[in-house]
Amino acid sequence: MMGINRRQFTLLLGCGLVSPNLLAKSQSPLFASAAQTSPEGYALKVISKQGRSLINHQLPARAHHVAKHPHQPLLAAVGRRPETFIDVINYETGLLSKRIESSPGQHFYGHAIYSNDGRWLITTENEIQSGQGLIVIRDCGNDYRVIKQFSSYGIGPHELKLTADGKTLVVANGGILTNPGQGREKLNLDSMQPSLAYIDLQSGRLTEQIFMPAQLHQLSIRHFDINDRGRVVIALQYQGAKSDDVPLIAFHSSGDKNLSLVKAPAAINLAMKQYCGSARFDHSGTTAAVSSPRGDLVTFWNAQDGSFLTALKSRDGCGLAATHVPDEFLISTGRGHCYRFNVKTGLKEKLTLRLSSRTAWDNHLTLL
Amino acid sequence: MSLRISTSSKYAVLISLALTAVTVKAEISQTQWMKLNKASINEHVLPGYQRLALASKALEQTTADLCQNLTDTDLKRTRSRFNDMLNAWQGIQHVQFGPIEVLMRSYTIQFWPDKKNLTSKQLNTVLNNAEPATLTPDYFQTASIAVKGLPAMERILFAEQPLQALKQQKFRCDFLHAISSHLEMQTQNTLNEWKLFKKEFEYTSSEEGAYESAQEATIDLMKAQVEPLEVIRDLKLLRPLGKTQKAKPRRLENWRSRNALLNIQTNIKSLHHLFSGAKDYSLFALLSDHGAIDLAEGIEQQFVALEALLAQVPAPLSHHINEPAVREQLLLITQGISLLHKSLDKSMSTLELQLGFNSRDGD
Repeated sequence: MMGINRRQFTLLLGCGLVSPNLLAKSQSPLFASAAQTSPEGYALKVISKQGRSLINHQLPARAHHVAKHPHQPLLAAVGRRPETFIDVINYETGLLSKRIESSPGQHFYGHAIYSNDGRWLITTENEIQSGQGLIVIRDCGNDYRVIKQFSSYGIGPHELKLTADGKTLVVANGGILTNPGQGREKLNLDSMQPSLAYIDLQSGRLTEQIFMPAQLHQLSIRHFDINDRGRVVIALQYQGAKSDDVPLIAFHSSGDKNLSLVKAPAAINLAMKQYCGSARFDHSGTTAAVSSPRGDLVTFWNAQDGSFLTALKSRDGCGLAATHVPDEFLISTGRGHCYRFNVKTGLKEKLTLRLSSRTAWDNHLTLL
Repeated sequence: MSLRISTSSKYAVLISLALTAVTVKAEISQTQWMKLNKASINEHVLPGYQRLALASKALEQTTADLCQNLTDTDLKRTRSRFNDMLNAWQGIQHVQFGPIEVLMRSYTIQFWPDKKNLTSKQLNTVLNNAEPATLTPDYFQTASIAVKGLPAMERILFAEQPLQALKQQKFRCDFLHAISSHLEMQTQNTLNEWKLFKKEFEYTSSEEGAYESAQEATIDLMKAQVEPLEVIRDLKLLRPLGKTQKAKPRRLENWRSRNALLNIQTNIKSLHHLFSGAKDYSLFALLSDHGAIDLAEGIEQQFVALEALLAQVPAPLSHHINEPAVREQLLLITQGISLLHKSLDKSMSTLELQLGFNSRDGD
């Protein structure tokens, strides 16, 4: 609770002066996510552990991922490709702290992260004229001024993460060329070269880069997660023929020469419809979850050997977040639902959300 | 860090919340969704799969006869049964959920468009090798989808001089029959499984079922109603028409058996039936019951108009697609399909049905 202590709060209650909004603020936040709240309306929402909407911040357009500051109550909602805004919200006050615009000639790809010390906001961006991917670093303590930018070493960089020590950036270069002048049209499907790039944050130097094997060059590397031991789990999206049956999950650890591509059991791999939307490790880093919204399911994997564990039906489910319990995940859906699922026990619980308007949860979910 | 929000934007949040509150429509009960589901399944989906299973059985039988007597009459009859099965498939192709999803059945029945010409390449390999093992169910279980469906049969049945080729190589007819047997089994299994799966449309909510609520099941049905329109427009019409004046007739679906136009007519007719054809209840009736009768009747008229336009197009389309007047007709039809799609989208938002957010427009 901000700026008001428990005794004052009790007094306010007694006087009947507490607005429902303030009451809501007494609840602790559970998760944040971008959402569609009306046919043309988009918001950053924060939901409390009791299922109430604590923040409903209207966004100028559709956002994608929400980055959480490591120790301040700040959330950065990133406009999705080819948007040019990031709204930074203080989730205790609900106020807009800063609207960041991308530099002229550049746009965001929907993902950002804070550095481990919270000093920098790091984004993936498109240098529109050349079509080359960029990593851009902004100073959170100085009005988010750009202090440095360097190559992402590929086209279409998407999700990015830092290794546990905070020194190496891992970037998914999706490989797909788009130009805002042609909307979201994919311009290079025949020649795309997706890769996973490891980049030294300090110098911007490429330290390692793994490409998709040539025969699978249309498997776009877009979303991934990394655990404390540096294991990477990747959710893939296939751009080839609809009838091809390709692996949709990959694992990697720094030093491995190749990606370890894995397939779910045949029927499930087919049901995933060539598209994975989000990947997250659980709190212990031993179990990975990958969502397949087109197949209405989420699959779970052993992080170490890449073996398939189980699958869960989840209609239009995409957003994933590890809770503080090992093997437990939150899953959000385009139909406005949110579930808690424990891979070990198999227990699935639907959270009761009290939302005033129809809400479609967007791709990613951030635990608070 | 400085806070940069003006008082007016705080009000903006409040006003927009008030606005969303006003636009909420009267809620449709799970019982009503279930009523729609049951009627659609019983009067549209199940009869569609019934027709498909029957047609594929008939095709299998005539194919067996053909391989016994390689006569013109038997060839004609087999071609006619092939057309019947293709037509039955075109009438239920839009249903992409449930048992048809299993084992890639949908692609197995008809792998199209075949942009890399896989059917030709792989079928030629199988026919040239003439391995007896490729006639067995075991082979078909793992065989490429390009060689085990209607397009492969079409290539054999509607080749130049098909009878001569069949007479020259007994294996050719045996493989044709093996495909038809595989199709018969797949369509029969689909029907049998649907007879069980239909129970998933007979509850209002469930903890253990395939759907959490009747409304979730409706969403699968509504995807079948809305999504195929784009496929018809983009793949079956615009792709063969091409961007320039010069059309590409061989990009038409089933141009060999001259079914391209009939396929589209059947697709639209079947989507029309799903919209308003069931007697017990339908999307048309649901919209009418919820104050959207103008929208319901508008969609009905759009279907009727599209069918009338399609009836005027000369067949076979592959022979006429390059005529300027036909091109114009077809482009008009694609516009009609886009408008119908818009109206159906509008009916989805009126009923507050979210057909897919991350699944349709993810990143």
